[in-house]
Formats: sequence, C-alpha cells, structure tokens
Amino acid sequence: MRLTGKTVLITGAARGLGRATALACAAEGADLVLLDLCEDLDGVPYPLGTRGQLEHTATLCRKQGVTVLPVACDVRDLDAVERAVALAEDRFGRVDGVVNNAGIAAPSGKPVHEIGEAEWALMIDVDLSGAWRVTRAVAGAMSARRSGSIVNVSSTAGLVGYRHFAGYVAAKHGLIGLTKAAALDYAPTKVRVNAVCPGSVRDDATAEGRMLAEIARALEVQVGEHEQTFTEAQPMNSLIEPEDVAAAVVYLLSDDARQVTGSVLTVDGGFTAR
Amino acid sequence: MVGEQCHALRLRLSRPATDAELTARLATAGPWQLWVEHVAAPADSPEARRLGDAELSRPTSAVRCVVLRHGDGVVDLVLVADRAVLDQEGLHDLAATLAAGADGAAGVGRAPTAGSRSAVGEAGTRDVPAPAPSGVAAAPAPDWGGGRRGAVGGETLSLDLADPVDPSALLPALALVLNRYAGHGATGDVTLATDRRGALAHAIPAQSTLAGLRDLVATPTRQPVTVGVVEPGAPVTGAAAGAEYRPCLAPPFPLTLWVRPEASRITAVYRRSHFAPEVVDGFLRHLAHVLGQFVEHPDRPVDEVELLDADERRRVAALGRPATAPTGEPARLTDAFAEVVAARPDAPAVGDGRTSLTYAELDARADLLARGLVARGVAPGDRVGVCLERTTELVVSMLGVLKAGAAYVPTDPAYPADRLAHTTRDAALRLVVTRNPEHPTEDCTTVTPDELVDTSATLGPVELPGAQGPDAPAYVIYTSGSTGRPKGVVVPHRNVVALVDATRDEYGLGPADVWTFFHSGAFDFSVWEIWGSLLTGGRLVVVPYLVSREPDEFRELLERERVTVLSQTPSAFSQLLETDHAALAVRLVVFGGEPLDARMLLRWFDRHPEPECRMVNMFGITETTVHVTAQTLTRELALAGSKSVGPALPGWHLYVADERGRLVPPGVTGEIRVGGAGVALGYLGQPELTAARFTPDPYADGVQYHSGDLGRLRPDGTLEHLGRIDSQVKIRGFRIELDEIRSVLLEDPDVRAAAVVVRRDDPADPATARLDAYVVPAAVDTVGVRKRAATVLPGYMLPATVTALDTLPLTSNGKLDAARLPEPVRAAVVPSAADGAGQDTASVLREIWSTVLGQAVGLDDDFFELGGNSLLAVRISAALRGRGLPPVPLRDLFRTPTIRELAGAGSGA
Repeated sequence: MRLTGKTVLITGAARGLGRATALACAAEGADLVLLDLCEDLDGVPYPLGTRGQLEHTATLCRKQGVTVLPVACDVRDLDAVERAVALAEDRFGRVDGVVNNAGIAAPSGKPVHEIGEAEWALMIDVDLSGAWRVTRAVAGAMSARRSGSIVNVSSTAGLVGYRHFAGYVAAKHGLIGLTKAAALDYAPTKVRVNAVCPGSVRDDATAEGRMLAEIARALEVQVGEHEQTFTEAQPMNSLIEPEDVAAAVVYLLSDDARQVTGSVLTVDGGFTAR
Repeated sequence: MVGEQCHALRLRLSRPATDAELTARLATAGPWQLWVEHVAAPADSPEARRLGDAELSRPTSAVRCVVLRHGDGVVDLVLVADRAVLDQEGLHDLAATLAAGADGAAGVGRAPTAGSRSAVGEAGTRDVPAPAPSGVAAAPAPDWGGGRRGAVGGETLSLDLADPVDPSALLPALALVLNRYAGHGATGDVTLATDRRGALAHAIPAQSTLAGLRDLVATPTRQPVTVGVVEPGAPVTGAAAGAEYRPCLAPPFPLTLWVRPEASRITAVYRRSHFAPEVVDGFLRHLAHVLGQFVEHPDRPVDEVELLDADERRRVAALGRPATAPTGEPARLTDAFAEVVAARPDAPAVGDGRTSLTYAELDARADLLARGLVARGVAPGDRVGVCLERTTELVVSMLGVLKAGAAYVPTDPAYPADRLAHTTRDAALRLVVTRNPEHPTEDCTTVTPDELVDTSATLGPVELPGAQGPDAPAYVIYTSGSTGRPKGVVVPHRNVVALVDATRDEYGLGPADVWTFFHSGAFDFSVWEIWGSLLTGGRLVVVPYLVSREPDEFRELLERERVTVLSQTPSAFSQLLETDHAALAVRLVVFGGEPLDARMLLRWFDRHPEPECRMVNMFGITETTVHVTAQTLTRELALAGSKSVGPALPGWHLYVADERGRLVPPGVTGEIRVGGAGVALGYLGQPELTAARFTPDPYADGVQYHSGDLGRLRPDGTLEHLGRIDSQVKIRGFRIELDEIRSVLLEDPDVRAAAVVVRRDDPADPATARLDAYVVPAAVDTVGVRKRAATVLPGYMLPATVTALDTLPLTSNGKLDAARLPEPVRAAVVPSAADGAGQDTASVLREIWSTVLGQAVGLDDDFFELGGNSLLAVRISAALRGRGLPPVPLRDLFRTPTIRELAGAGSGA
C-alpha cells in the first residue's frame, strides 16, 4: 500500500484514464477527491463524463476501503477549482497528490489554418490551463507542508506532432513545459511535478473511455482501422491499457519517486523511441 | 493544520438521528459542515474500524464533524478539532450536543470549571483557547529509546491501571521515571513539558519522600524535551462520557502521555524515530508502578522507589539469559582432556615449530611433569607458578600442574622482577616452573620443566592424586585492580569446560581446526586459545612472542600452518590487516580484550566474505572466565558501525543494574553484572573485595560478578558495552588501571603527587594511544622516575612520557582536572653536530620516524623513549617498504633502538 494515509485529487475522474487512475490509487490506500465537469461542453463534438459516471468511479473506489469525495468542477473556472480544493482540505485535512488528467481530444481533425479562435482557445483552456489552475490552487499548501506530488497527464502528442491535431499537440507540449517549469519552482520545497505521456490507450469498456474513438472520428477513420494503425506504430505491437498508465501515475505519486521531479515518463510501447 | 495541534474523539450515537437533525444541532454550535459517510460494512468490522481510525487521525484547521453510518445501522460520530479552536471540554460538549440534541446538551453532567463552559465564538474560536505547545523544542532521540533513525510518523500505546491516577502525582512520578531512565551517573535534573505550560525544569531532591515530591517545583525552561504530557481536562460525564478521545493526532512531544483519570488509562503517542514500541510499553508500566507507590508508600524515600515490579524484574533478568540452554555437565579440565586423548590419541595436539606433540604424547609428558611436581611436595589445592615463554612446554606445564591436582598461576617472563615477586608473594607460591634465571627466589623455589621430568624419571612411578571436583581452582590469573596492585582471579575447572561447551556447537569447533596460541599465558585470552583447542581436539600452534609482534611473520605462520581459528585483540588484528592476508585459511576470528570498531572489518570482508570466515566479537572479563557475550559480525553490522557485543553465551547471565544494584529497564545504562557458569571463585586472599564484587545472584543459583563496566541491554537481549565506570582503560588489549600506575609513581621517594592520563596523538587512531604521567614537584628528575617505574611496571603500563609540574590542576571538587594538564614534555631531542643532512638511510629514517612518532627525532633518540611501540614500528616498516627500503624488524629495533645504530647496521648490508 504505497499511498496509505495520502489524499489524492484527480481531475477528469468520471471515466477512462481518470477512473483507472482513481482505482489504482484506491488500491494503494489513498483517500480520493474526484473531480469532473459532469457536463457536456459547447464546442466539444462528443459527450463528456456524467455525474453518474463520477459517482460510479467513487463507488468502485469505496469498495477498496477508502474514503472518497466526488466534486463536480470545471477546470476552466479558477474560483470553482479553488472551492473544490478548499473542500478537499476541509474534508481530508490536506491534499498530498494531484493528477491533472482532465482533457479533451476534440475539436480536432483539421489543419492549423482551419482552426477557429474559439476552438483553439477551448483546447488550450481545458488541456493546458486546467492543469495550471489546479496546480495554482494546491501548490501553496503543499509547499508550506514541504511535501506533495503533482502528475500531469500529457501524451505522446506532448513529444511529437500529429497531423491535424495542432491544438491538442500544442496543449500537450505546453503541459510538459508547465511540468518542467513548475518542477523547478517547487523543488526547493520538496513538491514534485512530473508528466506521464501515454501512447494510444485502448478504450476500455468498464472504464468507459472513449478517447481513441473520438480521435478516430476526428480523423474520419473507423475505430478498428485506427487501432490497427497505432498498434503497428507502437513497437511493442499492442495498445496501451489504462492500468499501464495508472501504474506510472501511482509510482510518481508515491514516495518511491521522492527524488523524481520534472521528469517525463512515456508509457507508449516504444512509440517515441524511434 | 498539523496533527500535533489537533485532537479528536469518536462517539457511538445511542439514539438515532437523521442527517437533517444532526445538521441542525451542529448549526447551534458553530459554522461547521457535517460530512456523512455511508460505510457498507458493519460498525465493528475491521474495515469499518479502519475507516473510523482514518477519520480520527485526519488533522483539520478548525473543526470537522463526520458521521459514519454503517451497514448494520450503527452510527459513529467522529470529531476532529484544532486545540486552539476547541479545547478538550469544548470538543466533548460538541459531541454531547450532537448526540443528545439541544435538550441533552443542556443536561450534560460535566463538572463546570471556570471558563470551561464558555461559548463557541462566531468565527469558530473559543474565547479561552488552550495554547498550543509551541516553542517547545524536541530533544534528539534518547539513547535508551530504541528509535529507528529516519522513521516517520507516530504510534500509540495504552496501559490500563488498577487505580485512578492522582493528577498531582503524575508529573513528579514522570520526572522520577525519566530520571531513572537517564541511567548511570544521572543528576536529579529532569525536563518535562505539558501542552499548556510548555517545557518545565524539575530538580528531584535526593532526600525527598514520594509525598514530598508532590510539591516538586517546576520552572519554565528552554531545554529541549523528550517527554511531555497533554493535561487532562475535567472528567466527562453525560452524553459524551463514552467517547474515545485522542489527545493529539501526532505527538507534540517525542513521547506524549495523556492520562484519562476516570478511566485509569495512560496513553502514549510516540515518534517511531525516537522510540521502539517495547521501550514505550515498558516506560508506561514503570510509570504505573511508580504512581502506585505514590499511593501505597507515600513515605518511601525517592531513592528507594522501585521502577520494576517483581514480574518485570524476572522478565528483564530473563532477557539477559540466552535462549539456548548450556550443554554439558560440570567437569574437570583434566577429565575433559582425557576424553579427547582417548578419542584421538595420535592426532596432533600442540606444536611450536621446534617440538610437536600428539594428544597421547602431550598427555604422557604432562603426566611426567605432574609426577615430578608431586614428588616435590605439590598437593591437591596447591598453587604452582608457571613462568615460561610461549612454547609447547608451557602447555605441558599448565596441564601437568592440573594433573598434579594444583592450580597454575601463569606469569609472563617479560614482567619486571618486582611484579613477578609480587605475584609470587600474593599467591603464596612455593614452587615456580620457569627457565628464567632472574626469577625472584626470596619466597619460592624455581624449577625447570626438564628438572621436573628428570625427577619423575629418577623417582620411578609416583601416583597422581585422586580426582578433585570440578569446583576446584584451575588457574589464578592476575589482573589490574583499583586497589593499586594486581589481584589474583581464581577460576575453577568447570568454568573453562563450560566456556568450551558454550561455544563448541555454535562455532563448529572440532578436530579439523587449527588454533593459534598468540597471547601471553598471563592474559586470560590464552585460556580460551589453549583449552578451546585442546578440549575440542584441535591443533594448537604456539606463536612465539616476536612472531606475534611481526604482522608479516605472523601472516606467514597462519598460512604455513593453515590456521582456522584465530583469536585476536582488535589492535593486533588491525596490524594483520596491513599485510596481504588474502591466502589465509582462517574460518573463525574471535575478537576479545578491548572494544572493537566493527568498521575496520570491511577490509577483511572484502577478501574473506562472510560465508567463508565468521567474525565474532566477544566481550569478556577475567572474573567471568574470558568471555561473556558473543556477537557475530556481518558486513551489514560493520557498515552500521554496530556497538553490540551480542547476547550472553549459553550458561552466562547478563544483568544491568543501577548504583543500588536494582535492575534497570532494557535500553537504560547501568553497571554490567554477570552471573552463571563463568563467574570466578573470587580474588585470592581478598575476602572483603571478593564479598563486595561477587554477590549472590538474585535471579538464579550462584553468584554474580559486579564488572564495573557500563552497558545497556537492548530489548532483544544483546548487550552494548559502554566502557569502564572507574579509571580503568585498555591500551592495545591490555587492561590498565591508571590508579595502579599512579600508585607505583607515588612509591618513588622523589614524587609527591602524580597523575596518569591516556592520550592519542591521532584521536581516530587507537594505535597512537599512550600513557602520559605527571609528577610533582617540578624539580624531580623525570628520567629517573620513569626508569624506576620501569622496574615495577610491565612495558604496556609504563608511561610514554613523564612531565614534572609544580602542582596538579584540580577541579573545584578537588579532583584532578585532566583537561588542564599541559602537553607532555617528550624525551629531549638534542640535535648533535653529527646530525648533518645527506646521510642517506639515516635521513630517510629520521623523516619517517618523525612522521610516525609525530615529533622531531635525533639520531641518538631511543625509539621506545619517544613513545614508540610495536604498532608504530609496523608503520615505520610499511613506510620503508613504500620507499623501496628494507623494513626494520621489531627485534632489530629492540636491539638497536636509535637511528644511528640502525643506519649503521643497515648500511653494512
């Protein structure tokens, strides 16, 4: 039990990678603060996580014997983020770990000159600025306690380019930049900031993930065809499972990684090794 | 929002209430949120318990109210508050309000005390907040605590008492217990803290009774604290009476105690970095026992208060006894030896390079010698001196004395005549077996081994005496004593047999082993070497004195003879480490004679990994038959610089006692006492001293010896040895009583006052230890004083320097102030005209000698006069080798101790 006695706050926890990460943290004994927008967003062409999905994640975690506080929260709203963090501190006394997982894959699927101002702004606002807002809300208290671990869920799109995904790629590259800069900001106070870069993650039925499907749709290809393409592109010849990414996140949250900060851990089956 | 500042309680609601009702009740108390958790498991399941415990240990910056609704319908309330927001009474009031509603809250049967009922303010703060224990510095981990360095977090332990605690006795009792834990030599000054009053200094008057201690004056202090108390509030009755209260979520002090008077329970929250659970467990029991004495024996003087009750004394006594029972029956050395002879008569028993004997030959030779002794009137119970170089015939002679029914009294032929004469007189020796023509003969006759054998041959068959019991003395070995002159320790046969029985199986000692006889027969480490080998069928290799002082020659001997069992003082072993020891066949090294710094073994382990060679550190005392404890050393322990000397040998018992002879708890420093199979019969001819140092063992049959050594028993039964209580010191394996040297100096007619101290040129290097003597008056001829002392003192006790002073510096108590003694005046260095440069070997030697001896050296200065010793000689040889020059063997140095003579001898080669 590597996270016993710790409280971990996870954004985008209703489903997919967020749910898998929450379950992995619960299995390691962490109490959880689970955030999700729980609403659809104008401009995002697919349905986002729901209240029911967030509650389901909470129920699954409680079965592991931990205490869970689910909170509906929009990471685009600094006040809302600060309220959620205050609630978490009131309930659990402290927040030891943060997983900035909330993110959207679309609107995408077009070259740069076709992206609208609002589309660009929305992508950056959720995928990059959201992580900044949560970090802003927790880092002061973590620094004062001289302990804490923040994990930003970036992507291989934070390391290399993808055709017709300029907004997403820019946001995920930015997230790695934020990770490294914040790591230096807080290293003196022993607060660690790291990034995880998953490759193509399979849409797990029980995790209710749909990232891969939405990327395929943005590229106007069939999911099966897209899976095939990325399975072949990843040298280990398989897709990434949500649990693989969650395990990397748990490591970075745990004291095992107490000297690891500013690092970028790829979980991509070797995709970026070439 | 830290755990140190927060307290918490858990209360099971006896009357059901809806979330809305509870929220309404909470609103009457303060602006706090009600958190409701639904727990599927039944309330008393481990899972639910764990969730509840987690709630109880979560700090808050204000107040947190959590309702746990369990699957079986049971509802628990968990309240956590910062003490500055809600104090103990306030927290219980809040619980009562939530549990009973407005009606119930009004009727809470709490004894109202001034200020305790003050309302909770608008902002959630009470108008009379209890101050947090800020500004109290935590002391570092106490050496008795058994804490784990680097451990984080706290743990909780509780003890239920038979009777309610008298609050006015708590702090005095705690101060008393803590004072006892400070161990040997502690003053009566104790620092304690409370959460409300901060750190407080107490001075326990030695003359007080327990009743008098209640008025113990506490004065605020800035001293760091080890132990503190969370002061109890008024007793709780009414709706919150059944609440489980946690005075702090993390210990504000390294060891935080809280006494709940109405429940007669002491709870301890402690930092794992400072304390082991078993130590805290014991601390609570001892506190409880002392609290009981406040009630039952208020007139008892503080000094007579017992820390341990009878059960606990038995438990601590048992801790010092090894789990493995001793094997073997009491026996005489001669009978145990006869069994080995019968089993393997033709196996090699002992050899010194010139003479080698099988077991049957050794037996026959010793019989001859014994008959010679009997023919000369030696009778059972007599003592016979043996003063021979380390040779086969020394072993024959010892065995022969035993076969004649007598006890041998070994002395070293290198001892000054005066010391030999003292031993002869003190032991009332009528006969001394020796080849030393200078041996004093005023009180005894001397005889050579050859003469004894010849006597035996000419007289024909002489009956050896019938067997005496195993309790009869086998040997008398003289050791330094605080009374000024060495005293004879009388050790019976069965002790030595028990020592071999205690080690034979554990170390696999047997006929395949080859042992060294390295140490002087007058040093009891050799008792272990000789009888350890002969009673287990091993082959004993005698190491001649000069070989024992030349590491390279000694290494060659170890290789040549394929020695498997090596016994060494750490000083001697460090010299061996300087050589190329990779090819040795040694499988067991036993350390004894002086404290071991385990880190020096790393270099050995590099060449001889643990599975190939076992390294064992044994702590021992002549009065307890060579050894007492054994600690197998590993690379892990060596890296950690372990100070453990291990648990007692099977059959030996360890006790650690305070100044009044009471057992102290594990971890606490006291005098080491040893009982069991190894305790000697006493001091020869000194019934009073024997009665003082050898007393009945209160916890087992037999006698315990008061060692005068300081130590502590760890909770696992291993001993840490912490040095001598008095002035006794060890230099290069020799036990030296500084007072003994001082009394010899004072015997000099020119000396009016004297002091002797041990100093190291390099504090980190035990090889540079030397004795510095100071004598009064200033006009005294120091060279003459040293020369006269040399006629009485063996070389290892002779001060390296003698400095004359007008007066000795004293402390205000009239004791010697060793720190104010000046630097010693070294033997004069007179540069002579002949000391010119360019003298090749001589100038190289001068440079090396100056470096090694740490002072300027002239061509005619005597190496030994300048504080040279065998260890420093080895360094000189190493430095010479480093420059491609031939080393100087120690025996050359003895013959030609000046550079001029050495260089002259060397240039001819």
